[in-house]
Amino acid sequence: MTRTEQIAQLAIDASPRAKRKKFSPYILTALIAPLILAVWWFVTETRIVPPILLPTPASVVQSFPRVVFADGFGDQIIRTVTEIVGGFALGATIGFLLGMLLSSSSRLRAAYLPALSALEAIPTVILAPIIIAWVGFGMEGKVMQAALACFYAVFITTLSGLGLAEPNAVNLMRSLGASRWQTMAKLRVPTALPVIFGGLQLGATTAIIGAIVSEFIGSVGGLGYLMIRYRGSFDTAAYWVIIFFFLVIGLVTYLLIWYAEKKIVFWRHTAITRPDLEKP
Amino acid sequence: MTTLAPASTTTAKVKQQRPDRDTKGAGWIALITIAVFLLLWQFIPQTGLINRVLFPTFTDTLAGFVQLVSGGYWWEDLGKTMMAVAIAWPIGVAFGFSMGVILGTSPFIRQAITPYAIAVQALPKVVLAPLLIGWLGFGSESKIALAVIICFFPVWIDTMVGLALPAANEFKLMQSLKATRRQIFLKLQLPSAIPMIMVGVKHSLLLAFTGVLVAEILSASDGGLGKLAKEFASQLNMPLTYSVVGIVVILAVALVSIADVIERRVVFWSEESRARKR
Amino acid sequence: MTTTTQTAPLVRATGVTKKFGSGDKEMVALSGLNLEVREGEFLSLLGPSGCGKSTALNIMGGLLSATEGSITFGGKTLTEPSRQIGMMFQQAVMFPWRTTLDNVLLPVEIFGESKKKYRAKAEELLSMVGISEFAGSYPWQLSGGMQQRAALCRVLLHDPKLLLLDEPFGALDEFTRETMNQELLRLQAHTKSTAVLVTHNITEAVFMSDRVAVMSARPGRLIGILEIPFDRPRTPDLQTTSDFVALVAEARKMLELQ
Repeated sequence: MTRTEQIAQLAIDASPRAKRKKFSPYILTALIAPLILAVWWFVTETRIVPPILLPTPASVVQSFPRVVFADGFGDQIIRTVTEIVGGFALGATIGFLLGMLLSSSSRLRAAYLPALSALEAIPTVILAPIIIAWVGFGMEGKVMQAALACFYAVFITTLSGLGLAEPNAVNLMRSLGASRWQTMAKLRVPTALPVIFGGLQLGATTAIIGAIVSEFIGSVGGLGYLMIRYRGSFDTAAYWVIIFFFLVIGLVTYLLIWYAEKKIVFWRHTAITRPDLEKP
Repeated sequence: MTTLAPASTTTAKVKQQRPDRDTKGAGWIALITIAVFLLLWQFIPQTGLINRVLFPTFTDTLAGFVQLVSGGYWWEDLGKTMMAVAIAWPIGVAFGFSMGVILGTSPFIRQAITPYAIAVQALPKVVLAPLLIGWLGFGSESKIALAVIICFFPVWIDTMVGLALPAANEFKLMQSLKATRRQIFLKLQLPSAIPMIMVGVKHSLLLAFTGVLVAEILSASDGGLGKLAKEFASQLNMPLTYSVVGIVVILAVALVSIADVIERRVVFWSEESRARKR
Repeated sequence: MTTTTQTAPLVRATGVTKKFGSGDKEMVALSGLNLEVREGEFLSLLGPSGCGKSTALNIMGGLLSATEGSITFGGKTLTEPSRQIGMMFQQAVMFPWRTTLDNVLLPVEIFGESKKKYRAKAEELLSMVGISEFAGSYPWQLSGGMQQRAALCRVLLHDPKLLLLDEPFGALDEFTRETMNQELLRLQAHTKSTAVLVTHNITEAVFMSDRVAVMSARPGRLIGILEIPFDRPRTPDLQTTSDFVALVAEARKMLELQ
């Protein structure tokens, strides 16, 4: 289960008590937003939290048009999104293909999996200075960083997912004399899809982080570059406007992948059988 | 940095689900791969096809590593990095666990905050790094603050999910025994949640490490392995840069191994722990 | 129904032994099985869990290879799965991303034949088992019994000579299971195919079969073969006759003596 699925799981409840609830929990959901705003307003007006860290809600709202209509803002967004999408596509493709390759041979798995699973532990950000030294401040480096950040999640979920087919389903394919490729295409890949989507969801988040960190360290454009500039001029309100955009990028990515999964893996969240249809 | 955790469980699963059938010669494949890799690393830079400054040969890099280790001055940086992780990780775990218990015990609250949990998950929390450095300065405070913000999240979510794990029948059993809310929490929900929480705790260790490194790379004044790597890279001293990265990799793998051992000890009853012990 | 005794057997197992693992961990799952399956008959492999009956079935289907001994199918040594053999498993094994009809058509798709050609036949089979209105539904929109009906259609689609059935209705409730057994007998008679059923249910084995091969566990081996002389078609009433009860008792005694 990926973290995203886990979060979705939160809304599902095991306790038998829940059915007695009179109010929808989403009423509380709706009340939390103004509460957060009120707390934000309070801690900034009273300067409990210094303005250099968090400006007042009002100043962020006021800064919004200034930031958004500044020259070239659209270009910066496009630049960052391109880096994220490019890195994600690159990393996910490599991860998927490598997962397929290792899944096809227990010998290759035994040879490479120990080294590859060590990759899981490596904080990829430490490679950011090297990548910048190699390719400079351009977009290629950001794409590489994002690809590195998301590769492992897709690789390991693909490898794991391709091994998930039920023994009886594999036996059925074998009893029909299916080729390796037929078993892969008609059984293993579809079975793995839900798990792979978990990896994609995971990888998308890490790809975004990879791109931002790389932009922070050294760049000539992009939202991360803008943030470093605004911070340099102590324009914290403008900085928070861009944080808002990153929140939107994160949410849109999440929703896109969620929607793609819902459409492609349509059989996913369904019960295995319908006992109510059983004939006596 | 928010969501790498399940990968660790998935890795363990991959190792379990495929008992090694036909693995003859795997050791040779691994050895030959390493040998070919080292040879290419050694000879391609010498051909002049690629920039030898950026891509030093294997022996140059090894010399850099020896120079770094024998130089001894990096011990201080290592200590600074590890100290920040050692402080940030427990704080993040404690914070995440408390949030999980406060918000996760009641299904009502759990459902209500789900959309916010998704939003917190979707926001790449590193965006706060420059702000924290600007506010707290280049010292270890900013590193710790960033690491805590990044690493509390998985513990929070995993605690909430874990507390919701027991099935309806288990709740019914406790209710039939007239267990109090507190008893249900302590005797049913918390023990059921621990395997899940440990996954989050393990993940948060890696995230704390990442958070500290990001802060070090970005702030570049107080020291630490991240700063060291960035400095060497900016001087284009690649052998030393690679060596620092190598040390970070070794540390990360060691940290994960330690976390694995702790996890197995704590959740000795979970299937995964038992399977791994065999 | 033992009139086919004279013809050559469809399947012949000679000294089939299967060992799993090696060294200390070696486990003999099946030891020296000699068995003939006659053309057109319904044979059951009956025994407790661990008696190697499923192993024997998988070897007959070409999914496993025997450690010692050999299997011939239609006179030729069997080394790999054959299109002439259809298998059913404990679970229906319906792919959730395919409609019921597409699941039934899976075999011809694997064989690389035209699905169009078999479409009418698949629909006919589905209506024979009474689930034609679910052809366009996905398996998860069906009950467990309906899924097994579809699996039965799938195995019959390409007219295999031999049906290998590994407790196909074991996961269903008792009532559904009886109905499904009736259905299976009806279709087997209709297609005149040969069937080998693996089961641990004595009554079921006696009710369904022309012959029951009784097996024992650790190591799995054949104890003896029981001839079941009742006429077909068989109805559930048969199970209350004294002859039937006597045969069940005899099978039980064979199992208990071990």
